[in-house]
Amino acid sequence: MPISAEHVGRVYPATKPYRVSRAKIAEFAIALGDDNPAYFDDECPIAPPTFAAVIAAQAWAAIFDDPDLGMALRRTIHADQRFDIVRPLREGDDVVATLTIEKVRSRGNVDMVTIGVVLATAAGEELGTATSQLIHTREEGVS
Amino acid sequence: MTAIDLAQVAKDDQLPTLELHLTRPDVVRYSGASTDFNPIHYSDRVAKQIGLPGVVVHGMWTMGAALRIVTDWVGDPARVSSYFVRFVNPVPVPDDDLGTTVQVEARVSSVADGVATIAIEATHDGDKVLGAAKATVRLD
Repeated sequence: MPISAEHVGRVYPATKPYRVSRAKIAEFAIALGDDNPAYFDDECPIAPPTFAAVIAAQAWAAIFDDPDLGMALRRTIHADQRFDIVRPLREGDDVVATLTIEKVRSRGNVDMVTIGVVLATAAGEELGTATSQLIHTREEGVS
Repeated sequence: MTAIDLAQVAKDDQLPTLELHLTRPDVVRYSGASTDFNPIHYSDRVAKQIGLPGVVVHGMWTMGAALRIVTDWVGDPARVSSYFVRFVNPVPVPDDDLGTTVQVEARVSSVADGVATIAIEATHDGDKVLGAAKATVRLD
């Protein structure tokens, strides 16, 4: 029953829209120690590129909640991260995240799982993709 | 705020180096801002249970903060079109007032079709913390 190559291509329902606010953008930029004026613009601040991960991570819950996969966050390591950006996230965007299982390779009790999270506005404008490789260790006794 | 003349960007240009200094409060602040409340980012006890020396900063903090080497250089962060990193080594952050430092270096590895590819290196105590890190920026 654990995750395997059979699950490649599985797509989960989009997350509920996440409203990007200037307060959250500022909070995130300050946490990165980044004072770039684009993040603090009076008219329409944009979010730092890696802010996309905050919204993408909400979509991650789907794979840990999927009983077919037997995955647990506490046995998962974030191995790499990629962002492909169509345009920056900005104040007022309502962003939905859709997760697809892109690749699974298993060796012993370790699964290397690549997930792609497409971010788009609720109106359907594509914003970019956050792709992550996760290294997951299976629960003992499951193979 | 364009920090450089984009038309002059060429392969092998070095970007100004960046030092990222951080202390425990910075790690707590990133937990809140990112909503990533994994206890390895605030509890030495939990971090040690999984073999870490103690609390480590979020890999996503290192990824996000290191990108400043590119955005400070290019000026407008909206020019960043892609960014990749591999998380190679964790960055432990001691529970003291001194904290720790991550060194970031970067150079232009190629320029083609109005896009510059920037190779980024981030090290902590001489160990690589980000692997194969690269960002692309639109120059036109």
